[in-house]
Amino acid sequence: MVDVHEVPRPRIATGHLAQHIGKPVCFVGRVEKIHPTGKLFVLSDGEGKHTTVELSEPLDEEISGVLEVVGRVTNQATIMCMSYVQFREDKSPFDLELYNEALKIIHEFPDYFPFG
Amino acid sequence: AIMQGEEVSKPVLQVINTRAIATGNGPPRYRVLMSDGVNTLSSFMLATQLNSLVEEERLSAQCICQVNRFIVNSLKDGRRVVILMDLNVLKTADQVGGNIGNPVPYNEGQGQQRSSAPAANPPPSKPQQQNSNLSVAGPAAPKYHAPSNQFGKASAPSSVKTPGGSQTKVVPIASLNPYQSKWTICARVTQKGQIRTWSNSRGEGKLFSIELVDESGEIRATAFNDQADKFFPLIELNKVYYFTKGNLKTANKQYTAVKNDYEITFTNETSVVPCDDAQHLPSVQFEFVPISDLENTPKDAIVDVIGICKSYEDVTKITVKANNREVSKRNVHLMDTSGKLVTATLWGNEAEQFDGSRQPVIAIKGARVSDFGGRSLSVMSTSTVVINPDSPEAFKLRGWYEFDSEGQLLEGTSISDARGGSASGANTNWKTLFEAKSENLGQGDKADYFSCVGTVVHLRKENCMYQACPSQDCNKKVIDQQNGLYRCEKCDREFPNFKYRMMLLVTIADCLEYQWVTCFQESAEFILGQKANFLGELKEKNEQAFEEVFQNANFNTYEFRIRVKLETYNDESRIKATALEVKPVNYREYSKRLIASIRRNAQLG
Repeated sequence: MVDVHEVPRPRIATGHLAQHIGKPVCFVGRVEKIHPTGKLFVLSDGEGKHTTVELSEPLDEEISGVLEVVGRVTNQATIMCMSYVQFREDKSPFDLELYNEALKIIHEFPDYFPFG
Repeated sequence: AIMQGEEVSKPVLQVINTRAIATGNGPPRYRVLMSDGVNTLSSFMLATQLNSLVEEERLSAQCICQVNRFIVNSLKDGRRVVILMDLNVLKTADQVGGNIGNPVPYNEGQGQQRSSAPAANPPPSKPQQQNSNLSVAGPAAPKYHAPSNQFGKASAPSSVKTPGGSQTKVVPIASLNPYQSKWTICARVTQKGQIRTWSNSRGEGKLFSIELVDESGEIRATAFNDQADKFFPLIELNKVYYFTKGNLKTANKQYTAVKNDYEITFTNETSVVPCDDAQHLPSVQFEFVPISDLENTPKDAIVDVIGICKSYEDVTKITVKANNREVSKRNVHLMDTSGKLVTATLWGNEAEQFDGSRQPVIAIKGARVSDFGGRSLSVMSTSTVVINPDSPEAFKLRGWYEFDSEGQLLEGTSISDARGGSASGANTNWKTLFEAKSENLGQGDKADYFSCVGTVVHLRKENCMYQACPSQDCNKKVIDQQNGLYRCEKCDREFPNFKYRMMLLVTIADCLEYQWVTCFQESAEFILGQKANFLGELKEKNEQAFEEVFQNANFNTYEFRIRVKLETYNDESRIKATALEVKPVNYREYSKRLIASIRRNAQLG
């Protein structure tokens, strides 16, 4: 499997999952629930819709707040996570709704925001 | 003759005015005021099949028509209504030019009706369109309530039950005069002043004034002393009451703009009773001016405006020098769909009680335009301020502001901030450098101010500092006397020291353009991240570290507040830009502006 970090990975919201099955993506969302096994967690995007993220290895740390996940979309419209980054919100909160607005524009004007 | 029930064939009448009456579900019905040259009568209704005549403006005020077919209906209370079934327009309004003869209202014993336009319209002195006043569309004077369905409710307004059970006739405001002492009017309070006290050689007292309006016109009323105490808590703005028996005297025009030759003074016989059936009375009438038009409005003009209160300041107390009194004032900032912001000043109680939370829609009637800071508004004692009025304009504004993405994200360009140096939230004027250059900002007589987001791409190290006078408020360059002393010409003194002052020339750039900007002390220190004095020493002692400061400052992005002005130096005129303030970029606000801008441009296609 090609490393998702070496190919372009469009930023998506929950609504775009269906169009990107099998493709590498980048998803930003807020942590809603973590499965007790630590191999699954749920993120909500700027519109409040939920996406499930799976891991090959269980989590080894506590995660909370806003996360950016890079991974591949599975056939069940979940994301197989390859790596993630926690956003620091100590200086100022991350405006997820505004991010969602920006996402809409990116997808609305693909000429100006080409993916790769 | 028609009213007497006689058969008249094909009378020729002149239309004085037409009025639309909303019927709920169904086409509007038009009521027409007709004249036969001798009398006028408003009891004419147009059959709905003739509605198109009014809508196409063939039947309009002052046109002459011949009635081919009509029916006379008698109402329960004895009044007669003429329904116009078929008519021809003989001469259209513009061919006629004016009212023929001097018709007086036909008196059916119902009380006077003015021969000029029905009172729901603004008084005749205001410039009127010659076309029929279709109150439904309401181009000039938007009305808040549907005009009266005078035929449907035959009981109102001709009679009213006072609590005592006796019936009194209600007369129109326009008919009030000093020769009639027993009258009752049913009117809405469109303006209520504060209680004012006075004390002069003849004694002292208190009063408050109100403005009343009904369909026939408006009038001012004043209550003194005991009546002031009695009625001030009872009478509320925008509510309707029956007012009975007061004194009528000639109006003192210098105190009021109300259009009536007379005004009312309450006496101890005056009674004020709330009226429930008030749907037919016009509410406060506004003629709104878009905020962007205010820039062309002359100073001291009186205007009506409506806008969302985007932000407001705290109430402050200032002392009026004239009479050494303390008065409260508050500035509020209004924005409308023109995208412009204006600052309006509220005074006294209104300032203190103002609640601007949740960004209400504010309508102001009769605000005075001042040229403070460009254009601002001042609310006077004769102005009326309505918060969240129940009107189509208010709903439209609220809808635009809440749901239209442009409304939400628009920062608004303030016309009250022409000299504004500080960028405070809703008042900033954001431009890209490209826009600033293409709009030729700074080339007028006055300096122009704008804010932009830019990246530092170059800093001039050479001559970025000068030796300045160490005195507190003096920044003049000192002359090195070469004897350990430095002379300041402005202070006319010599000092053994100086302070370093920065004057840094920076090139900033955005996606399309670049601009040379001069940064003085505070801005320069912010960009370089070091104090001027420290830098001065560093330059002398450690060149390399000095250079490093400049390297690190390069390619950082900030928000700049810039002042551009045309300056002449040795016969050469150049646009000079100064950075007044440099701040870190607020990415959230920046994103919002960009998104709004993208959406706006996308709509333009």
